[in-house]
Amino acid sequence: MTALIEIRDLGKRFPARHGREPPPWVIRDLSFSVRPGEFLTIIGPSGAGKSTLLNMIAQIETVSAGEIVFDGETAKVQDARSLRPGFDRRIGYVTQDDNLLPWRTTIDNVLFPIEVQGRLNAQTRAHAEMLVRAVGLAGFERYYPHELSGGMRKRAALIRTLAYDPPVILMDEPFAAVDAQTRTQLQADLLKLWNLGRKTIIFVTHDITEAIALGDRALVLSRQPARIAAEHAIPIPRPRNVADIFALEGFAAIYERIRAAIQ
Amino acid sequence: MTDAVLAAGAISPSLSRRWAITGGRLTLAALLLLGWELSARRFGSIFFAPPLDVAMRIVELAQSGRLAEDIAATLRVSALGFAIACILGVLLPFLLRRSPRLTEAVEPFIMASMGIPKYALAPWLILWFGIGDLPKLVVVVLMVFYVIFITTFAGIRAVDRRLIDMARIAGAGETMIAREIVWKSLLPFFFTGLKVALPRAVSATIVGEFLVASEGVGHYIEYSRQVSDTTGVFAGITVATALVLAINAAVNVIERRALGWRPVERDMQL
Repeated sequence: MTALIEIRDLGKRFPARHGREPPPWVIRDLSFSVRPGEFLTIIGPSGAGKSTLLNMIAQIETVSAGEIVFDGETAKVQDARSLRPGFDRRIGYVTQDDNLLPWRTTIDNVLFPIEVQGRLNAQTRAHAEMLVRAVGLAGFERYYPHELSGGMRKRAALIRTLAYDPPVILMDEPFAAVDAQTRTQLQADLLKLWNLGRKTIIFVTHDITEAIALGDRALVLSRQPARIAAEHAIPIPRPRNVADIFALEGFAAIYERIRAAIQ
Repeated sequence: MTDAVLAAGAISPSLSRRWAITGGRLTLAALLLLGWELSARRFGSIFFAPPLDVAMRIVELAQSGRLAEDIAATLRVSALGFAIACILGVLLPFLLRRSPRLTEAVEPFIMASMGIPKYALAPWLILWFGIGDLPKLVVVVLMVFYVIFITTFAGIRAVDRRLIDMARIAGAGETMIAREIVWKSLLPFFFTGLKVALPRAVSATIVGEFLVASEGVGHYIEYSRQVSDTTGVFAGITVATALVLAINAAVNVIERRALGWRPVERDMQL
């Protein structure tokens, strides 16, 4: 199968401040590709440039070297003016912070992308309402973000991106800030939703267990400058029970291998 | 039964707190009035008009229709100037937002022009615009514009960059981002600006009316002073204060509606 996204020799360094040495490369010579419908996880230590990598793929940040090819089309990502954030609504992005609009209720937040795209109709609304129910937010549609718990806000942010149906979704440690129990539930929710739609997902995390539980394939990033240090297929059959992932055959072996790669 | 007791227990602290606040306010108001009355007796009615005289004067003015006329004249200038200043004060930062280079070029000039004492311009404005509403209007616009401009500008700078990125990725265009993200984010700033600017608009109008007017609350105050009618001066000041308070209350209502989503303690309204 041909790649949907191809990252070739990607590099990033932030511009130097006046009179200082140019800062070091955050990312250097980083290459990988993603197949359509694949759930790819990327593991990296804190400060390894994971968010920067996703920001570049989402086209909200420029690239200093290399290129990004999406569906056969090379993106113009060298210059801030030619960036196309979200690549014409084809790349969704669930960030580390939920970034819900505080003045909009849950349902209005979920409908926000559909609304700005001018696609709000009975069908898209019904789809959004279905997603709200699917992640257990029924009854909270008219609540404002500050009235929701952290886990609920994550769910709202997640289905906001799913609701407008971009073929690719980037996820930047979306479940890092919630407690372990909620995180397991959110992971299960995500897999359930992914099964419904089979989108292409690039999921970044520093948690090895999470990367194995969710992904078809896991990439390990090196310390700065980040590049791909290792690649691991995750042959654990689906559907997976996220809560019991430790008990599954093959988990321990993959875990050990990835941990060794990170050292 | 226990539920009822619990409920009563839950309600009464906040209720008693509210009564304490109201009681405190009434006591303060009474003390101020008393101080006013005592000052009038001590310094004589040329320097301090007694509160009762002032109240009666206001009733007289209301009955004669003079009060409504003067308030209407003052409000006309304040409101129009205020509206013009608000539109300019909001539009300009939004335009500057689009061009950091233009912002950098324009900023020192705006800051410098802010330093000009606006009332000092009045004689020159009269020279240009005569003695109608126009010179007053210009002073009001200048007094209000900077407040709205600065608060809107600060509000735009404080907009969460990540929300804008989120909206862009979702496919929002620049107009949508300005309307849905930037404007909504800066509303709390804008309302703060409004509340600072409103009394200024009325003050500016009244000062303008001291100089050039044949009607308005400021004109009444100045005219009363010229004929040594201290009660009239005090009546005018009282009306002007009431006017500002009334407008402020109206803004608070609008603010509470517009910012209803905010998790703020609503009792504390400035």
